[in-house]
Amino acid sequence: MDTKEKLKQVLIEELNLEDMTQDEIDNDDALFGEGLGLDSLDAVELVVVVQKHFGVEIKDMEEGRPALQSISSLAAFIEEKQKGCTRKSPSPFSVASLERE
Amino acid sequence: MQTPSEDKQQGKAAEWSSRSVGSNWQHQFFYLAIKMGGRRLAYLLLYFVVGYYVLFSRLARERASHYLQRRFPLATGMQKLWHCYRLILSFGKVLIDRAVVGIMGPESFAVCLDGREELLKLRDENNGMILMAAHVGCWQVAMSALDFLQRPVHMLMRHEDGDIDRHYYEHAGIERPYQVIDPTGYLGGTLEMLGALKQGQIVSVMGDRLLGSDRSTVAVDFLGEQAYLPFSAYKIASATGAPVVVFFTDKDGPASYRLQLAKVIRVPELSGRSEETFRPFAAEFSAALEGYCQEHPYQFFNFFNMWLKQQPIIEE
Repeated sequence: MDTKEKLKQVLIEELNLEDMTQDEIDNDDALFGEGLGLDSLDAVELVVVVQKHFGVEIKDMEEGRPALQSISSLAAFIEEKQKGCTRKSPSPFSVASLERE
Repeated sequence: MQTPSEDKQQGKAAEWSSRSVGSNWQHQFFYLAIKMGGRRLAYLLLYFVVGYYVLFSRLARERASHYLQRRFPLATGMQKLWHCYRLILSFGKVLIDRAVVGIMGPESFAVCLDGREELLKLRDENNGMILMAAHVGCWQVAMSALDFLQRPVHMLMRHEDGDIDRHYYEHAGIERPYQVIDPTGYLGGTLEMLGALKQGQIVSVMGDRLLGSDRSTVAVDFLGEQAYLPFSAYKIASATGAPVVVFFTDKDGPASYRLQLAKVIRVPELSGRSEETFRPFAAEFSAALEGYCQEHPYQFFNFFNMWLKQQPIIEE
């Protein structure tokens, strides 16, 4: 299952959107206000849910605001962060440092 | 069940605003009095001004009545007026004290802090801290006394366009000692609050009034009736692990304030957003606030009708 579909599934389960199906959620629908109709309290839950299910932390407003626009933007953010984590494992510099020790 | 007066108030809900009742020149008049004769002269004038408001301003009496009719349910006629006079007088003194601190310096008042060691321990947990205050005493005193925590403080607050009473730092022309999170901003400022707490910083919120677009309230018992308190802060505490530190200030002498850590509310990790989930925590806050009101009946300055189910839309 790709990130967008998994995200939709998680949102339906965790944010009590049981009256919706994954197919009914458009990838580009606004998450807040019109669109999915989520509010500020859902935003808190969403930050928790993203960390719990995807291991990605939304640290602040700078990161959060563009990421939390739609399913597409949030999925892109998650994928980028997950790739970033993979890339971080030992850089040439850190390997060299370890070897020196 | 609602009383006829409550029904009438509900009709007026959308008209409610926290803007100052006094006009700009009246505020300037008091600032001048402080500069010329200090706090005592300003207090002296205040006794007469408050008398005028209590007798002739229906708006002032109406705003004070939400609380007073629950705090003093048996009061009649003249007693009601007397309670109203004392409440508004205390509020006026707090506004004067706030201006005195700015105009004449913080040394004009003594601030006694109960709970310093506990606050330091909570800070060292590094989960951030939600300081939950209420519209009692003078919360600005608390903000000015938290320097020792050595953490940035963010205050969820809205300065209304019609607010003409100035904060003490505005009088003093100094930098604001805290950063403001605007509750009418993006997602009610929740992302900014989460961000600050994740960095171990302090977020201060009011536990007794809704702000901005937040409409998440829970009914809890307060002064013998169901009052509606916001619960978003408990959700944020649950998401971050930050303790909710309830603190109140009271004016305990002509030139002194006491800042008291009343309660620490721990909210475990909880999923969902139902009001039932967060009711126990709001009830803890409400019980602490009621204890404060019993001890300091004339220092509760929330003139908003928190017993009204249909929460008013604050005027833009």
